[in-house]
Amino acid sequence: MAETAQWTPRSAWAGIAQPGTFGAAGRGGVTATLLEGHGLASLIAAPGGAEALARRVEQSLGLALPTAPRIVSGAGHDVIWSGPDQWLLRARSRGEMPSLIAELARYAAVSDQSDARAALRLSGPHLRDALAKGVMIDLHPAAFAVGDAAATSVAHLGVQLWRLPDAAEGPAFEIMVARSLAGSFWSWFAASAAEFGCRVVAGRG
Amino acid sequence: MRITCPYCGARDAQEFSYLGAADPVRPDGMAAAEAAMADYVYLRDNPAGPHRELWYHGSGCRSWLIVTRDTRTHAISAVEPAKVRKAGEAA
Amino acid sequence: MSAQPFRLASGGLIDRSQALSFRFDGKSYGGHAGDTLASALLANGVRLVGRSFKYHRPRGILSAGPEEPNALVELRSGARREPNTRATVAELFDGLEAVSQNRWPSLAFDLLSLNGLFSPALVAGFYYKTFMWPASFWEKLYEPLIRRAAGLGRAAGAEDPDHYEKAFAFCDLLVIGGGPAGLAAALAAGRTGARVILCDEDFRLGGRLLAEKREIDGRPVAEWLAAALAELESLPDVRLMPRTTVFGLYDHGTYGAVERVSDHLPQPQPHQPRQRAWRIQAKRAILAAGALERPIVFPGNDTPGVMLAGAARTYANRYGVLPGRETVLFTAGDDGWATARDIAAAGGKVAAIVDARADADPARKALADRLGARLFAGGVVERARGGRQLDQVTIRDASGATHALACDLLAVSNGWNPTLHLTSHQNGKPVWDEEIHCFVPGTLPAGLAVAGSAAGRFTLATALEDGARLAREALGDLGLSVAAAGPVPAADDEPCGLKPLWRVTGGKGPVFPGKAFVDFQNDVTDADVELAAREGFRPVEHLKRYTTLGMATDQGKTSNLSGLAIMAEQTGRTIPQAGTTTFRPPYTPVAIGALGGHHRGKAFRPVRLAPTHGWSSEQGAVFVETGQWLRAQYYPKPGETDWLATVNREVLAVRETVGICDVSTLGKIDIQGADAAAFLERVYINGWKALPVGKARYGLMLREDGFVMDDGTTSRLGEHHFLMTTTTANAGKVMQHLEFCHQVLWPDLDVGMVSVSEQWAQVTVAGPKARKTLRGVVDPEHDLSNEAFPYLAARAVTVGGGIPARLFRISFSGELAYELAVPAGYGDAMMRALMQAGAPFGITPYGTEALGVLRIEKGHVAGNELSGQTTARDLGLGKMMSSKKDYVGRLMANRAALNEPERPSFVGFKPVDRRERLRAGAHFIGVGKAATMANDEGYMTSVAHSPHLNHWIGLGLIRGGSARIGEQVRAYDPVRGGDILVEICSPVFLDPEGARLHG
Repeated sequence: MAETAQWTPRSAWAGIAQPGTFGAAGRGGVTATLLEGHGLASLIAAPGGAEALARRVEQSLGLALPTAPRIVSGAGHDVIWSGPDQWLLRARSRGEMPSLIAELARYAAVSDQSDARAALRLSGPHLRDALAKGVMIDLHPAAFAVGDAAATSVAHLGVQLWRLPDAAEGPAFEIMVARSLAGSFWSWFAASAAEFGCRVVAGRG
Repeated sequence: MRITCPYCGARDAQEFSYLGAADPVRPDGMAAAEAAMADYVYLRDNPAGPHRELWYHGSGCRSWLIVTRDTRTHAISAVEPAKVRKAGEAA
Repeated sequence: MSAQPFRLASGGLIDRSQALSFRFDGKSYGGHAGDTLASALLANGVRLVGRSFKYHRPRGILSAGPEEPNALVELRSGARREPNTRATVAELFDGLEAVSQNRWPSLAFDLLSLNGLFSPALVAGFYYKTFMWPASFWEKLYEPLIRRAAGLGRAAGAEDPDHYEKAFAFCDLLVIGGGPAGLAAALAAGRTGARVILCDEDFRLGGRLLAEKREIDGRPVAEWLAAALAELESLPDVRLMPRTTVFGLYDHGTYGAVERVSDHLPQPQPHQPRQRAWRIQAKRAILAAGALERPIVFPGNDTPGVMLAGAARTYANRYGVLPGRETVLFTAGDDGWATARDIAAAGGKVAAIVDARADADPARKALADRLGARLFAGGVVERARGGRQLDQVTIRDASGATHALACDLLAVSNGWNPTLHLTSHQNGKPVWDEEIHCFVPGTLPAGLAVAGSAAGRFTLATALEDGARLAREALGDLGLSVAAAGPVPAADDEPCGLKPLWRVTGGKGPVFPGKAFVDFQNDVTDADVELAAREGFRPVEHLKRYTTLGMATDQGKTSNLSGLAIMAEQTGRTIPQAGTTTFRPPYTPVAIGALGGHHRGKAFRPVRLAPTHGWSSEQGAVFVETGQWLRAQYYPKPGETDWLATVNREVLAVRETVGICDVSTLGKIDIQGADAAAFLERVYINGWKALPVGKARYGLMLREDGFVMDDGTTSRLGEHHFLMTTTTANAGKVMQHLEFCHQVLWPDLDVGMVSVSEQWAQVTVAGPKARKTLRGVVDPEHDLSNEAFPYLAARAVTVGGGIPARLFRISFSGELAYELAVPAGYGDAMMRALMQAGAPFGITPYGTEALGVLRIEKGHVAGNELSGQTTARDLGLGKMMSSKKDYVGRLMANRAALNEPERPSFVGFKPVDRRERLRAGAHFIGVGKAATMANDEGYMTSVAHSPHLNHWIGLGLIRGGSARIGEQVRAYDPVRGGDILVEICSPVFLDPEGARLHG
């Protein structure tokens, strides 16, 4: 019988991106953090069931489900609007996903998506310049506030992205892309960020 | 072209895919005559002017939308979620 | 490096402290930072820069901007060589290499200039008249001949080594053009805090301000310009984009622009693109693109040394180059006089001023006197001559007397055409303005206003006033405050009187009058336009196609209006009656590379990699593109050189022991809700309500027109929870279809669906040893016996000590088979665990080729059969169609024509001579019948070599279908020379009872 130890999960970024630097030396225009280890589930409220679901999420996680393209974050969880009466629930710790899914399944169609996305946190003084090479929506601070989220297309790839509070080094966003497309996404991102210099670090979701 | 998704906001048309006229109503397949279903499947008006049509926001919120677009100018005068609209019609 | 004999000692916007070296046709020259290739060539006295397209006539530099029709060169060398580059906009850099075009063997001595002697054969429509018959001559004779003689520069012929990219920008106000109108607009808007983008195709902002000696706000323009640019640069939400051409206007305020990031460098800096294609989304835009000067058509008007007057002034004032030592000005309006004045100020001699207007304005007379120039009021230049370099013009004065004057520059001015191209990109038609003798913008696209010369308001004062006013109006429209917009810059109005003169005729030359060119780039003469008029090609679109007037890279920027004017004159109409010029994007040529951006080569389109991809790579798999996916096609072992040998080995392993194959690429859709089963009833042709929890079922869905859309297995994971699988190719399409059915057709159903394709790594474990292999992977508490986990069972299990997984007992191969799904991150581990568990049985990974062979042996349909032209009945699946419920495609599938027994339907085929190879795509023809469309009975959809049967087998659609089993027909494949006898048989070649499946 197979040993548990053999079942080592493989990162969505394995073989695609690794910590280090690339592009213009000494500029540090963009920092990319490879996010690992989060839990993720999609939630679809039943017809007329959005309010009940929202109450449950509020009780369990202390988060108010957004009714527009926004992210609402707490200490251990985020809820991200992903469509009418649809959300993504992200947990910092993957371990609690089974119980969370079981709990919420009474209020919504819940599907585990913990392995379905490759995720990045991006920051840096030139981040917006790099993103503008593929993101087709307006990320200017006046148009896209902290906490705004969007499902959109980047370089012909579907993504979900949202704006975090500005970091010390500049604006900050998180972006998620389908796991199978992580390589194509990184090909575009690396080409787009190279002129500003990019630092890649490993991190936790 | 830009389409203002009622949920996601103004987006490039590249995020959407087009289906066709929004108004034909699918007859019940058990009750309808073949001719009525053939009309629904094949027959479409081709107006020079405002046209209500279905677009799918596949790269965004995955909503089917009813877009009213002037076929002569591409001016878009209304965008509504099909689900809300169709549910209203059925009710 | 030679000296620059025509370079002025001072003045202009070049940096004389920065010497640049460049080569033209192999010879070295010097220039300065701030030069264009054209200005540097003129500084060096190089006048002859190219040969013309058709007649190979010597050509010089006509303009100083994007409209240049003559000075087209090949820039750079090797893989970076770029043909048809306009020397007038090519920014000079150190080490630049350029080569002239259309000359052989050399620019000065061109054998093909003999074309000129045979020119009667090359008149308008010559393509149509000369090269028509016999048709067979086209490929071998005419086309190569034309391509050698005509055509413009040579493409590099090697892969472009540079990187290109796209970018997206958003603004409140886009200002197109950085001249006085554009700057005034950007200043007014930028000061209010609005988001402004200012684009200019030039490498230096300023537009005509760079070339004119004027004052704004009481200061010399250079001083005012420097202050304006400094202020704009200080505004955080103003983006200045020099070297950026806005080339197109599209729906809903979208503008296309190309930024030449590195065109002014020998090669891009590290990590910099060569060019960047911008898509700019602007709430409002102001077109302030200025105007293009018009030439006059007269014999010899293409002689090097004949130049647009505004360009001559630009070379003197901006580039510090004396465009001629001995100048004659030929003008139809006031603007040309500024050139005479500025050239004289630069130290050039103005020999004569020929003003076609008869009235002798005293102020002009005084200016001519002051410049020491002979004035020919009411005169014309009836001929220019000089071969490779202008040396003489013949002037006909108002009385008709002619005067030959020596000169090396003839500056020509016939007024200006507003650069209104973008206003017609959305179908806007320019309208003729009788007062100012030019087309001006007609109906404007929503959100666009036009300022200054681009609107036909030609003076500096109106340009400044327009820009500032329209910017305020645009912001006002957007509800933004304009309180901080600041004052309008002030300037004097200059005179801009004009009485246009389109062409000069009636010259009595010594032998023949010489050609008078309308379109320099396409070698179209006034005689060609006359010929087109005589032969009935009068509408402007016919004129263009018959004569090639206005085609190619310059799109008639200097020629369209002259052509129209001559056509109007020939047909007794006015210019607007003769037609209007309309423009489509792009305004100037745009490299395809820039439009493609990052997406070329391996990045041409997104590639999806399965969760097991890394493992398969390690195994040395050969991959194949299926849709966006890269899938393992087969896994060659060392020593296997023939793919068929590899595939045979993989197939036999599955039949005899066990094999594993990644099927993560199948679409997986989670469908939940109280009405989930009811929903499936409506999208599939078969029934779902009775499917027990924990079981899977094969499903087939139709399009509403009754043809098959997709198939797959769907499992019931809970009372209200199903997991649908789709084919790899149709995953996205089916998801969209389900959303359509739910949101548009049946919005009241309680059902939600979401793709979980990315969440699961899924692998087929197939073969007699499949169960034993799985036993080593699935945690021991799960009973996998045939009784506990029978065919079509579908349940949650755990693997590797508690990792959640799903196990489905389904089979595409006809063997005892399972699909095991684990979270995608464990996909790699799953492969390793299965290989380890199956090692005692000789477990063999297999790819899509073996997968195909296995399913063809079992007669399962796949993509080749689900072609969009087949019905469930065609595929032998008609019995699945429920009669008790409505479903998508039900009524249309029952149409009589789709149920005729003669419709081609699904059967198997085997070669009568078992050694023959079958080919997919072969058509079936009755034995002894001619291979004609009328005798076509169907075609072969899929073929495979069956290692089990040791011969080729095929699936296909043939008239009459299974009723003809045992009959022989021809499989006719003319493309590959195949014509073999095949026998119609059951599509199930192996284990028709399904004993293996249930084992």
